[in-house]
Amino acid sequence: MTRCPAAQLLRVVVITGIGLWSLAPIGLGVATSLSTQADVQAVPARWLPGHAMLDAYRSLLGGTGDFRAGGTVSESGAFAHAMWNSASVTLMSTLAILCVAISAGYAFARLRFPGRGALFWAIVATTVVPVFTVVIALFGLMADMHLIDRTLGLVLVFVSTTTPLAMWLVCNHVKELPTEPEEAALIDGCTRWQAFWHVVLPQMRSGIAALSAIVMLSVWGEFLIPLLLTSTSASKPVTVLIPEYVGKYTTNYPLLAAAGVLALLPPAVVALVLNRHIRGMLSGSS
Amino acid sequence: MVAPAVIITAALVVYPLAMGFQMSLESADAAVGGQPRFVGLGNYGDVLRSSTARDAIVHTVIYVALAVTLELTLGLAVAVGLHRAFRGRGIVLAILILPWALPSVVSGVLWRRVFDPDSGLLNSVLQQLHIVSHPHVWLASRGWALTFIALVHVWGVLPLVSLILIAGLQSIPEEIYSASAVDGATPLRQFRHITLPLLRPSIAVALTVGTVWAIKIFDEIYVLNGTALNTRSILMEVYNTTFVNADFAHGTALAFLLTAVTALFAGVYAVTFGRSTT
Repeated sequence: MTRCPAAQLLRVVVITGIGLWSLAPIGLGVATSLSTQADVQAVPARWLPGHAMLDAYRSLLGGTGDFRAGGTVSESGAFAHAMWNSASVTLMSTLAILCVAISAGYAFARLRFPGRGALFWAIVATTVVPVFTVVIALFGLMADMHLIDRTLGLVLVFVSTTTPLAMWLVCNHVKELPTEPEEAALIDGCTRWQAFWHVVLPQMRSGIAALSAIVMLSVWGEFLIPLLLTSTSASKPVTVLIPEYVGKYTTNYPLLAAAGVLALLPPAVVALVLNRHIRGMLSGSS
Repeated sequence: MVAPAVIITAALVVYPLAMGFQMSLESADAAVGGQPRFVGLGNYGDVLRSSTARDAIVHTVIYVALAVTLELTLGLAVAVGLHRAFRGRGIVLAILILPWALPSVVSGVLWRRVFDPDSGLLNSVLQQLHIVSHPHVWLASRGWALTFIALVHVWGVLPLVSLILIAGLQSIPEEIYSASAVDGATPLRQFRHITLPLLRPSIAVALTVGTVWAIKIFDEIYVLNGTALNTRSILMEVYNTTFVNADFAHGTALAFLLTAVTALFAGVYAVTFGRSTT
């Protein structure tokens, strides 16, 4: 099949297709963010700006009264603050999820204890539950604990909703690791904990890199949970602010595109830097 | 070592689930301070009789059907084209996964300008090609809106489906292909009689992932078309019932119906396709 011309042709078509399909919307977003309102309203459509303008970014981040991009964001600094909220919630949640998921995933993969199978599947089964079903009831619980509109509340919810999947991935990953180094360490007198810390964790480096990336991307992109659990700029992440802007500045495409481009930069960087690890773990998750 | 995971899942997933289930069995006046009254499956019946919920169910079925079909066919093409080593494959795969990494809210924002009725790029291109004579308000027509929203959803999920199928193809031993080639099998017959049957477990996973993601579609719709009735999904109807109308009883009932259907799909796929491999 390798030398078959049809297969070769298919590959060229697929590669070109993927390039266009994946990059065109992002490229269009970048081009739009550099346009003026006159550019985006031109008929027939002008795909590229006359000349690149940073006005959209300026009014988004500075909240100045510059109207050339077609309007301005009144709440100065709101967007930057939302980016900061997203970043801190993402980092805190990822760290917490990693700790919980790695220890549980490792234990389920290697230790023998009563109820292990049932417990494992009970936790993994919760991944099927749409997060939303949980959040409706959690809303009351969170309100009682005064965790609405608090970063800590968001982190707690993300940890509980993402841990099962992360734990499952860790468990699969650990099962694929050779057991010999760990057994050797145990025979040499290491405690279980020492063997885990000094032998297993270093073996899991690539898996941990992949897992952190997957968790970071999923938390950063989460919309529905923070839409319900945040109400002010104190904890509102960028994914909640952007749809608000869509409602407020409906046709101010340069401004919306600039917001989109800034919000996609961190996940895009994570995905590109760690993409080899991510691919390994995602395709192995089957 | 499993204690933290167990406690967190029990306290923040299982307990709220049980609480939510109880809510879905009680009358709606609990939310407004009244005394909750046990109504059994009454709320579930109400929800299934409501016309907006029914529309939302129909829309969700369409989203899932469109998304899963597109993801599987395109994903197979991508996987067949990319599963063998070639120069630059790493870069192509990195580009492939990029849309999956982006927040779905951002995907929605990136695509919005394409569908804009006045200055949208789709209208502009179609008019220049003389395919349409006047600008269409795409997201106002139900058929087009559902199609385009499904397309934006597929943009984000196709990478994941493709990766699963690529891994599946790589697990098929090369010898089967060379042996069948000796016996005179054409590539098309090889695909039909070797690739597809041996890929079944991966297709099952891809189908499950595609269905589970599409069935809870929300973000893309919210950004592209708001909570408009012509594109509302089940999850959006849940959101609206629960948090806009403050009707927790009916909201949770619908949410549990969605959960049951999702679990059913995952279970059925796991059983029907998983069996052939184990």
